[in-house]
Amino acid sequence: MSDASGATERIRRQLARERRARAQAEEIAEKTTRDLYEANLELQRANRDLEQFAHIASHDLQEPLRMVASFTQLIGKRYRGKLDADADEFIDYAVNGARRMQAMINGLLEYSRLSRTPPSSTVTDVNEVCRRAIENLKGSIEECGAIITRDELPRIRAGPTELERLFQNLIGNAIKFRGSQAPRIHVSVEREYDSWRFSVRDNGIGIRVEDRERIFGMFRRLNSGDAYPGNGIGLAIAKRIVERHGGRIWLDTAPGQGSTFQFTLPAIRGVVR
Amino acid sequence: MMSNATFEPVEILLVEDNPGDVRLTKEALRHSKVLNSIHIVGDGDSALEFLKRTGEFAEAPPVDLVLLDLNLPGLHGRDVLSEIRREPRLTHLPVVILTTSSAEIDILKSYKLHANCYITKPLDFDGFTEVVRALEGFWLSIVKLPPRAVE
Repeated sequence: MSDASGATERIRRQLARERRARAQAEEIAEKTTRDLYEANLELQRANRDLEQFAHIASHDLQEPLRMVASFTQLIGKRYRGKLDADADEFIDYAVNGARRMQAMINGLLEYSRLSRTPPSSTVTDVNEVCRRAIENLKGSIEECGAIITRDELPRIRAGPTELERLFQNLIGNAIKFRGSQAPRIHVSVEREYDSWRFSVRDNGIGIRVEDRERIFGMFRRLNSGDAYPGNGIGLAIAKRIVERHGGRIWLDTAPGQGSTFQFTLPAIRGVVR
Repeated sequence: MMSNATFEPVEILLVEDNPGDVRLTKEALRHSKVLNSIHIVGDGDSALEFLKRTGEFAEAPPVDLVLLDLNLPGLHGRDVLSEIRREPRLTHLPVVILTTSSAEIDILKSYKLHANCYITKPLDFDGFTEVVRALEGFWLSIVKLPPRAVE
């Protein structure tokens, strides 16, 4: 065999090897893509099931809970002081437990409702949203003499109701976890590239640095149940709202030095304010 | 006929299938300042028979105010409301929807079917008492109910 045909043969075999290698690589790529696609579908299904479960559970739990809460209250009203001291105490625990369960279920229902539909992207004036949130908190604000101030806030695309809930939860949180002085709360905003970074700063009791992330978990209560009221889900809801809008939320804090909740939301392109 | 109208109890028909809620409503109405007589039926068909005073309810008194739950077995509360508004002898009756749902679609549909008002059941007894007190204060005191039809 001459050198030329040997070389041709080698080149032919080389090309064949490369073709096979390419075909194998393509096959692997296709399989991987299929696997990823199916895994994604499966995750979406599981997610939807979970959301449905949470919604159904919290919705269906409301009725029996209403019975427990209403009738333990009725027993308390009718028989307080007429049975013995133990009975009064037992009734109090029952009524209190029922009330806390109701708060948790309401919170869970609200949380699960958030997942069901995508947030709207209406052009929303955040000043107006903040004003409404503060209006909703009027009672607690007057009760503790809270002073709430804010910068001029921008317009963004968001679901107005969800945004109102977000501000209401964060400001309400600041009021709830106040120290001995009247709460001073300030809402400010900074532009960062294509987002707005909002801050809600307070002069309250602050939170331990180690708890900064746990606090956004569902039903994560950092203080003992009775000392500070609340259903433990307000911040989880706030986080969900921010993330559904494509933002991030985090906490700067130190015990005794108040807290600053910060969150980002996408800015409207071309709008400076 | 009109002279002793102020001393006759207000006849209320409560259409509610949850026995706990029936009890709560009765308890809350017990201490009402307005003399009232409450009648209970547990489903829509019975409610319509009671209002029309037919069948087993031939001896029923004429009703002045209807408290209607939406989630009933059999005929849905909305269909009861429709039928009340369709029936010439009943169309004038004040109907207060008292139900668990706070869904806007339910509220809208009820008003569109000409419910007089819509109340979401409160979560505990204190809330229930407040609602009943408000109902008394409005529907049974300030408001003039339609005169009973002379048959």
